[in-house]
Amino acid sequence: MPKIEVDRADLLALAGLDGISDEELGLRLAILKGELDLRQGDTLRIELKDTNRPDLWCVEGVARGLAALDGRRRRRLSGMPEARRELYADASVGGIRPWIAAFAASGPPLTPSAVEALIAGQEKLASSFGRNRRTAAIGFYRLSDIEFPVRYSAVDPGTSFHPLGEASLMTLSEVLERTEVGRRYAALLAGCDAYPFLTDAVGRPLSFPPVVNSESTGRVREGDTDLFCEVTGTDWGTVGLTCVILACNLEDRGFDIEPVEIVFHGPAPGERARIATPVRRLDRLAIDREGIRRILGTVPPDDGIESALRRMDYDSWKVESGRVEAELPPYRRDGLHPVDLVEDIADAIGLESFEPLMPSAFTIGAAAPVEDLCDALRTAMIGMGFEEIMLPVLTSRSRPGLAPSGGPALIANPMTLEFGAVRNSLIPGLLAVEEQSGRAPYPHRLFETGEVLLVEPGGAAATRVLIAAAVFGNEAAFGDAHSVLAAICASRGLEARLEPGSDPRFIEGRCARVMVSGRHAGVVGELSPALLHEARVSRPGSAFELDAETLAG
Amino acid sequence: MEDRDLHPLERALLAYLSTRPGADAGSAIADGAMEDEGSFRRASQWLLSRGLVREASSATRMLVELGPLGRECLEAGAMPETILYGKVRSGVSDPVVLQSDPAFDAARWGSALGALLRTGAVEKTGEGLKPGRSDASLFERVWTLVYRPLAEGTPVPLDGLPGDVRDFVLQRSPKRGRGRAEFSVTERTVQVLEITPEGRLALETSEGVLTGALTSDMLADGSWRKARFRRYSLDMPPARIHAGRLHPYRQFLDAVRRRFLAMGFKEMRGSIAESEFWNCDALFMPQFHPARDIHDVYFLDGCRVEPPEEGILERVARTHKDGWESGSRGWGYDFSTETSRRTVLRSQGTALSARTLASGPDVPGMYFAIARCFRYDQVDATHLPDFFQVEGIVLGRDMDLRHLLGLLGLFAAELAGAGEYRCLPAYFPFTEPSVELFVRHPSIGWMELGGAGLFRPEVTAPLGVDVPVIAWGLGLDRMAMVAMGLSDIRDLMTGDLSRLRSMRVLPDRVLGGGGGRA
Repeated sequence: MPKIEVDRADLLALAGLDGISDEELGLRLAILKGELDLRQGDTLRIELKDTNRPDLWCVEGVARGLAALDGRRRRRLSGMPEARRELYADASVGGIRPWIAAFAASGPPLTPSAVEALIAGQEKLASSFGRNRRTAAIGFYRLSDIEFPVRYSAVDPGTSFHPLGEASLMTLSEVLERTEVGRRYAALLAGCDAYPFLTDAVGRPLSFPPVVNSESTGRVREGDTDLFCEVTGTDWGTVGLTCVILACNLEDRGFDIEPVEIVFHGPAPGERARIATPVRRLDRLAIDREGIRRILGTVPPDDGIESALRRMDYDSWKVESGRVEAELPPYRRDGLHPVDLVEDIADAIGLESFEPLMPSAFTIGAAAPVEDLCDALRTAMIGMGFEEIMLPVLTSRSRPGLAPSGGPALIANPMTLEFGAVRNSLIPGLLAVEEQSGRAPYPHRLFETGEVLLVEPGGAAATRVLIAAAVFGNEAAFGDAHSVLAAICASRGLEARLEPGSDPRFIEGRCARVMVSGRHAGVVGELSPALLHEARVSRPGSAFELDAETLAG
Repeated sequence: MEDRDLHPLERALLAYLSTRPGADAGSAIADGAMEDEGSFRRASQWLLSRGLVREASSATRMLVELGPLGRECLEAGAMPETILYGKVRSGVSDPVVLQSDPAFDAARWGSALGALLRTGAVEKTGEGLKPGRSDASLFERVWTLVYRPLAEGTPVPLDGLPGDVRDFVLQRSPKRGRGRAEFSVTERTVQVLEITPEGRLALETSEGVLTGALTSDMLADGSWRKARFRRYSLDMPPARIHAGRLHPYRQFLDAVRRRFLAMGFKEMRGSIAESEFWNCDALFMPQFHPARDIHDVYFLDGCRVEPPEEGILERVARTHKDGWESGSRGWGYDFSTETSRRTVLRSQGTALSARTLASGPDVPGMYFAIARCFRYDQVDATHLPDFFQVEGIVLGRDMDLRHLLGLLGLFAAELAGAGEYRCLPAYFPFTEPSVELFVRHPSIGWMELGGAGLFRPEVTAPLGVDVPVIAWGLGLDRMAMVAMGLSDIRDLMTGDLSRLRSMRVLPDRVLGGGGGRA
């Protein structure tokens, strides 16, 4: 879930909430599914739980939501002028990074906190919503440095320009190889023989998207009043929404937004090759009275619904005897189903105003058979003086005692090798406990019941519930494990028959396959000294392991 | 005075002291009244504490003890000088042959030969070594008077030794370099004990043989009739028993499980390895959702699980793309069945709920599962590689937001013992409306207990369910830690038996106060 850090004073000024306490702020944020995570001096850390609301992942968005809750609504890009400037998207970017959207903005001189917020918001959007700049990456420029039309094309990797923050000219391939930011995003352009490049009408480089802006035009400073912003990416929906969100953010800081007309010379995202961005598209949701009643159990009065939609910053609505038609604000694309509309209404009204009811239907509780079985097995084991252990299912692939066949399943993306595999036996756990417990008074009679994952040679993986026990002391005795095994089977009214077996974890000739009701149920034996040595266990021991469900009877 | 009979050791020491004015450990052992110094010490401590003997005097005495070299000699069964002397006497004269004898290491050979030459027990001639004028009796006496008593546990006072033996011992007890010394001489306080009048009385009244353990033989032959049973001390700590028992975490999980069964829920079970289909797709999490990437979910190499039924797969794929018949516009992307088939470790128990929905559930119906789940997190004091969640669903034609809120209130009381709870708006990809439940736990204070919501139509419709479904999932680890009095979550699954044996489930904290109230 996205977390953002914002300047407290900036947030409250933008939201028009000067003087509000953190507690009160927290209550309002909760309606936006935000949580005040931490306050450090003047910085607030806010967690935004809705992964479908990228508009909220910046200070301007949170402020906009808070202001609307109080009835102070922003412009939401209404009344933008006609586009006067153009940007040409060349056919050459088609297979590489086809989509671009852009706009110009003029307003009051940028304050230091506005510049900081602009950069932070752009980073957050590009990294989270833009999937680390793949589906969307953002560039800001000083408008006065640029001659239109701007040109977006794919150029030779040998093309050189002066990247932002570097000392000198570099070719595009040098940027990818030698600069930190280049190396970080080089994978996005892997396999391309031409790279995306933005220049203005007189050939001045603007940027090398999605990697880095140019030093000459791509640096926005405190006091700037006129900006140019572009978003490039591989997904038109993401590029378009990102562009809208950025425009709304600047608008809320007092800027006027002027759309830029994008002329796609190659493939176009819609039916037309010319699109003025940002596109002020409004998603529409509708639901009838019965639909609302089915979800909320009650239908709020029409004016209550209208007030809720206003506070949630919907763009427009029509409410008639519980039937609702509403348009989401342009910065939201998360209305997939009418239930989303109903939730917004409920959240704005407040969950506390709905009366909690208990389900009145009569249902019969029932335990899962395997759980009841394990309960019975555990009771029998503790009756014989065994102590239960519980260990993680994840283990190291080299942990001593794993079963020689049937896995273990390996994790493709382990966080640490210590937890790089899924256990296929409980015996490693028994050994691990013994290894750590040499100083605990003996005897050690340990058992575990739990899930393992068995993998067949073809790859079919099945979760099984096993029971395993071990006795460690001064002398190992096959009989220790065997008698417990016999008793546990007897407790289920079953008889265990032993067949000669071989398992590298046990001493040859002191190991048996356990047959219960004619089925192979597991293994019993004296643990091999080589295994004990490998597991750094200093006492001999005997053990058994059975598939619990063979004991179901 | 303690009201109990004399221990056999106490009796023996009292009887010995009653025949003489006073005695110390050395004399008691030498006279055979006590087995060794340990027995003497135990008996005298008990008797002193009961006032049956008293200290007549105590003197400091110089006692001889064995150093590391001395202990080696004791183990070897002889001093190297004696061994060497024996060889020379038996006619071996060549120093080279003698020196290569495996009985000596180089250091000992040199000093042993030196000692034998000094005392004149061995002489050097042109041909080699031969027995000298005097014999090696000094070394034999050292063995008898020093080594042997020490081996038997009898103290050896320095001033009790003949002059030449004493000099020999002192010469081989260097003040420095004790690491290679044969002897050491230490100053020790020696207690001389004498019997008190109470001691004499106790000895007299304890006449006759006292019986320790009653045996089956005694019962069989009737000898118990004449036996006098020694009175046992009640102050002895009992031997510790490590009883078989359930793991404390299990006891906690069992309590949770019983509570859900009592509330009328049916228990669900499933595989810890899941296809992405059940773990995510069926829950309407788009395949590009950030919670599905390699930094959030564990992927399994080369494993596969049973694929979903073709019709269900088809409907879910359509729902992701354009909403199918769920009333949704869908996520608007091309669903990949290949992604759907990838195998992951279950990251949320909700996967079980999705499977239940697809398999013709009861309506009305209530289901729950205590499920092991796996998240991609660094293991530390607050994160385990796998953890338990309790998850479930409630199906019913009339279920709505109000029932969801009611159910959460019930969980707050039943599981966390919380009178106060709060529901706040939340986001989960598979529920709408979504709610987070915060409770005031009696021990922790305000805490997040879990999340819940009404399953989205995009989840229920393709799985063939046409009634509202309340879904919920609650975290258990935090409450388990409180119930077990732990501050580090890794201790929930500790591998240290001593630690485990010391853990208790605090009964008043299980489920926040004993439970049972509705």
